[in-house]
Amino acid sequence: MKTRPFLALFVSPAALAALALVAALAAILQFAFRAFVPGSMEPGGLTLANFAALLRPLYADVFLQTVAICLMTALATLIVAYPLAYAIVRSRSIALKSFLLITALTPMFLGEVVRTYSWIIVLGNSGFINSILLAIGVVNRPVQLMFTTFGVVVALVHVTLPVMVIMLAAALSHVDLDYEKAATSLGAGPVRAFLTVTLPLSMPGIVAGVTTAFAWTFSAFATPQMIGGGRVPMVSTLIYQLGFSSFNFPFAAALSVTGLALTVAVLALAKAALAPLERLGAH
Amino acid sequence: MRRPLSHRLLGLAGRLAVALVVAFILLPAVVVTLSAFNDKAIMSFPPTGYSLRWFARAFSYKDFATGFRNGLIITAFASTLALLVGTGFAFALDRYSFRGKRTLEAILVSPLVIPHFTIGLGFLILAAQIQAARTFALVIATHVVLVLPFVMRSVYVSLRNLDARLEQAAASLGARPGRALVTVTLPLLLPGLVSGWLFAAILSFNEFTASLFVTAQATQTLPVAMYNYVREYADPTLAALSVVYIVVTATLLTIANRFLGLGKVLNVEHAR
Amino acid sequence: MPAERIPPGSDAPAAAAARRIGVQIDGVTKRFGAFTALHEAWLKIEQGTFMTLLGPSGCGKTTLLNLLAGFLEADGGEIFVDGQLMTETPPYAREIGVVFQNYALFPHMNVARNVGYGLAARGVPKREIAQRVDEMLALVKLADFGHRKPKELSGGQQQRVALARALVIRPKLLLLDEPFSALDKNLRGSMQVEIKEIQRRLGVTTIFVTHDQSEALSMSDRIAVMSAGRIRQVGTPDEIYRRPTDRFVAAFVGDVNVLPARLERRQGDQASVLVGGVRAQVPAETIEGLAPGAAVDLFVRPDALAIGEAGGGVPGTIAAHVYQGSHVDMVVDCPAAAGGRLLVRVPGTEAPGLWPVGRVVGIGPTAGGVAFPPEAA
Repeated sequence: MKTRPFLALFVSPAALAALALVAALAAILQFAFRAFVPGSMEPGGLTLANFAALLRPLYADVFLQTVAICLMTALATLIVAYPLAYAIVRSRSIALKSFLLITALTPMFLGEVVRTYSWIIVLGNSGFINSILLAIGVVNRPVQLMFTTFGVVVALVHVTLPVMVIMLAAALSHVDLDYEKAATSLGAGPVRAFLTVTLPLSMPGIVAGVTTAFAWTFSAFATPQMIGGGRVPMVSTLIYQLGFSSFNFPFAAALSVTGLALTVAVLALAKAALAPLERLGAH
Repeated sequence: MRRPLSHRLLGLAGRLAVALVVAFILLPAVVVTLSAFNDKAIMSFPPTGYSLRWFARAFSYKDFATGFRNGLIITAFASTLALLVGTGFAFALDRYSFRGKRTLEAILVSPLVIPHFTIGLGFLILAAQIQAARTFALVIATHVVLVLPFVMRSVYVSLRNLDARLEQAAASLGARPGRALVTVTLPLLLPGLVSGWLFAAILSFNEFTASLFVTAQATQTLPVAMYNYVREYADPTLAALSVVYIVVTATLLTIANRFLGLGKVLNVEHAR
Repeated sequence: MPAERIPPGSDAPAAAAARRIGVQIDGVTKRFGAFTALHEAWLKIEQGTFMTLLGPSGCGKTTLLNLLAGFLEADGGEIFVDGQLMTETPPYAREIGVVFQNYALFPHMNVARNVGYGLAARGVPKREIAQRVDEMLALVKLADFGHRKPKELSGGQQQRVALARALVIRPKLLLLDEPFSALDKNLRGSMQVEIKEIQRRLGVTTIFVTHDQSEALSMSDRIAVMSAGRIRQVGTPDEIYRRPTDRFVAAFVGDVNVLPARLERRQGDQASVLVGGVRAQVPAETIEGLAPGAAVDLFVRPDALAIGEAGGGVPGTIAAHVYQGSHVDMVVDCPAAAGGRLLVRVPGTEAPGLWPVGRVVGIGPTAGGVAFPPEAA
């Protein structure tokens, strides 16, 4: 029998944390099936009304729009992050590597409020971009960037960029440069070598990055709330509004449960759809 | 040997793409810095004059001071607890097989993909049921669960990079498991533990979405206070605070990279 | 060197007459899933012996070493060290010193703390630790290196530290896991001599694991040759080299040629075989049960073959000369030989002139070899 010293000591605190998380999720699930009693924090009896309400076009549209924004953001982030991840892994200068890595990571640690606030100053009507456009005479009145889906997606790309870079760089660091050299020595041009060797081999990182970016975008609250300003409703802003403006916690819980189910479904779907691609890079 | 023109153009295009991405990442930081030193309450570019008045206001605004203090308390407890819980579990993950290992791991890393508002709402409902909705304990527990995946990953990667033969050597020299743990394993894990704690601390201090759900007036953290400020005022006070944030965070990360090697901790480069 | 370094009772002349068993391995088996890494190993090692476990990678030698050290648990059998049952003893209580392949020096401790680690774990007083560490560092010629960190040392120096760290606890048994594989060739030779000297001086029972047969032949008192999870033969280096009792051992240790031959007759513990009409003497024990006239495989060393004019011995064609200084290795194409080639070692340097490439020659054994029944097809 293999001895396992300190096993209980190592595992029981973690089990406690997991239990708390499961209890919290169970609490939401339980609330989702309770009736809303206006003016009271206490929920009423068991009901399916919350889920029935979700089918109304108003809420169904929010779900569809959220998924669309998540997809756009995840794909845009992939395109923006790939060159940076590649440069971090392949750069031969340690100083440049460190600079790029810290530049890529800092936004993640700043938190959503600081980042989103900064984007308000960039995108606002009297903000950075519009001031420049007006100054050089490209436009004669401010371009509306705030409160638009475009503005929200741009800021969200900034939010999901660090995690995408980390996942791509981790995958790329396991792709030996010699493979590319070998492909080049066999007569492949750099573009061909990249498309036939590096890209397929980094596929696991791409899958992990895109799915995580999707989940993070779905989870984002400050960005759609502050940049969308209520005109770009997402599931997260809707839940907050229901919880803290109407105190309709049962309905907020039902939205959360549905959102979570949607996230899980999309992740599973993405995994299944991308599995053949991922296998390309498995060798 | 000269490379063909098309290859050099391609290299140039690659560099340009990286430069553009870096510009995209840095743009908000640069713009927010410019506006923080602006002397007017209304934003304009280029700024017409410079002043430090918004920094003064940021440091004297009472809600920020309270949020900062609350944040420190919550972060200190949450990141330290997460480090203890995460280190123990990473050990168990790396060394032992036990029943429910994969299930427990899946639950504990799930906050990476579960929306923070879901976790926040869940903990709020749970706490309300046991009359603990306005306590620091609620915020700390929420933060522990949220930052645990990062600590676990950091410690787990360090454990993987640790040569198992060092512990065998210690055992063959007569060190019992506890002694080997304290004199060999833990000292060698220290960089991973420190960076795990640092990640946890920064993430906890800056966490917003879940905190918005689980904090009350008395336990409000700095990001929540900042969010509430933006809803009331439009002046650049928050820009000044953002500059402080950016400088402190970038400095901490630079120090962490210098002493701990972020590349190795994040597994984006191979340990030699 | 002062005599008190020698562990009491280990190798004093008076005790030499009745040597005690240092390590006894009784039918030890280790399985990993469906794979049997070690199949009922039996081995007795006298105290003070330098015993080598020799074999290709995957033969089970490292598994046996890990079982001895207690890093693995056996699925069957018992291990005794100095007469004490070790099978249930945890590694930290076994009193066995290990020198690892990569040395496994603690990178965060200096040399003195590395060497003193085992003493500190035993609660030895600080002053005595310092004294014994100094003595041991002097023994491995690193007297002034106590304050250095391992990564500031060369490969050879790191190995000496690893050796000192394993020996300072006065182990009942010293295990060396391929300790020379990380060293360059020149350093390897001098470290081999040095380790052998220290081992003899301290008289510590030593088990050395290697896949390098020349290392094994030059350093060992006794060798256990292993393959596919089994111990094939145990003996002195000369016995292993000159009188292999197993096809695998004959082929693995040293260069060897395999020629088809016929058993002529048996005489006591000797037998004679005929190969291409030439007679060669072989031990009888490896071909017991075979009748005269039976086909056998003759294993013969390159220096026990001679080249003659075509018509005598086994026919072949000179394919290449490899000049080696004191001798020449002649490569001969020989359809009858296993692998279609023979290697003949001819002393002096005249052979290439006498037998140019392309010349058809006859090859015959000049000295004995070892014969085995042909492999079942």
